[in-house]
Amino acid sequence: MRAVQDRRTALATGLFGALMLVAAVVVVVDARRLPEQDSATGPAVMPLIVAALLAAVGFGLLVQAGIRLRAAEPTPRSGAGWRVVALVGALLAFAALLPLLGYVVTATGLFVSAALLLGAPRRWVLLAYGWALAAAVFFVFDRLIGLSLPSGPWGF
Amino acid sequence: MEQWGLLLDGFASALTPGHLLWALVGVTIGTAVGVLPGIGPALTVALLLPITFRLEASSALILFAGIYYGGMYGGSTTSILLNTPGESASMVSALEGNKMARAGRASAALATAALGSFVAGTIGTLGLTFLAPAVAGFATSFGPPEYVALMAVAFVTVSALLGPDLLKGVASLLVGVAVGLVGIDSQTGQPRLTFGVDSLLDGVDVVIVVIALFALSESFGHLLSGTGSSTVQPLRERVVLSRSDLRRSWPAWLRGTLLGFPIGSLPAGGAEVPTFLSYSVERKLTKHPEAAPSRAWPGPRRPTTPPRRACWCRC
Repeated sequence: MRAVQDRRTALATGLFGALMLVAAVVVVVDARRLPEQDSATGPAVMPLIVAALLAAVGFGLLVQAGIRLRAAEPTPRSGAGWRVVALVGALLAFAALLPLLGYVVTATGLFVSAALLLGAPRRWVLLAYGWALAAAVFFVFDRLIGLSLPSGPWGF
Repeated sequence: MEQWGLLLDGFASALTPGHLLWALVGVTIGTAVGVLPGIGPALTVALLLPITFRLEASSALILFAGIYYGGMYGGSTTSILLNTPGESASMVSALEGNKMARAGRASAALATAALGSFVAGTIGTLGLTFLAPAVAGFATSFGPPEYVALMAVAFVTVSALLGPDLLKGVASLLVGVAVGLVGIDSQTGQPRLTFGVDSLLDGVDVVIVVIALFALSESFGHLLSGTGSSTVQPLRERVVLSRSDLRRSWPAWLRGTLLGFPIGSLPAGGAEVPTFLSYSVERKLTKHPEAAPSRAWPGPRRPTTPPRRACWCRC
């Protein structure tokens, strides 16, 4: 079990380090685009410092992951990764459908899909929970407080 | 002793039934909204601002003080039971309080968060009444060098505190700083890292970052480990503090007040810096570094200690 955790953690560390390297490149490219300033500290100074640190720490994490990965044992695959992918998909679908279908419908969908992915029993009451929660939030924020939430073609 | 008279005047006008009712309403709303992850006290106050258009000034201030205190306290509840801090200052509650809850001591964590918040808040408010002129003078003498020094201390503390791996602590700090770069540079007015998207010009709101990094990572973690059903830690004992718990707790409350009060009264001192400072102090002071739940004692109450000072000073 411990080896499983080690390998997974090492892989995640390496991925995070690689992402930080990519982020460093993005920050540098964006900073080069900023206009030059006469003063010593223009808008590009801080991003360049941050990018250098991002690159250094990202590289450090990659090296650390490489060392630990060599010591870790290969692990059997499990379905857990797909559940995370499915939840990310549900979140993206929520963001994309929110302006079209309105808050209550999309939030109910997100609630139901997240609950099912987390292992809730498949019953119709799940749909009722999600709908009641979303409707209550919508009522309080949109109707009582006046902070308008996206509403679908049916007005909620 | 002119201040005594003014303080008693303040109590006299605050302790009328109407004002107490507004305080009760405020604390109730604040706690109810504060336990929702992602909605912090500042956002709660901002959302409920329209309510006070019809109130007189002192009632409105009392209502908002109630909402703020209730919101800060509600944040500690979600942090302890769900590991989802409502705002950045409850992060320590999430780090340590949730560990206690998993060890079956959820009610003790909740109780100490409430009591510590009350003790430190009362001492801090009373202290501020007397020390406000001096503290305000000290705060305005803070220049850029002092702020840089304070931030450096906070950065070092944060990266050294978050877990045993220093490199990962620095990495998380850098991710935060990089997210902070997004938006218009306040010095030169140049847009940074916005990629032509208008809504990124204002930067990324801290609430979004907190939700994304804490709440979503919590759900992803449960998905990976398949432990989604045990998210909320049940209360297994009576919500009382035992005498030994109390004896261990009160020095930490006072130390937290001592740290939170001066830093919280600085403009832009914020709630996070003293929270993490006192957390590191308590970790260094503890005699039982091996017993995670017991050294967690100092954790949960500090987050609620300093912010009110910051709030009052902004008022």
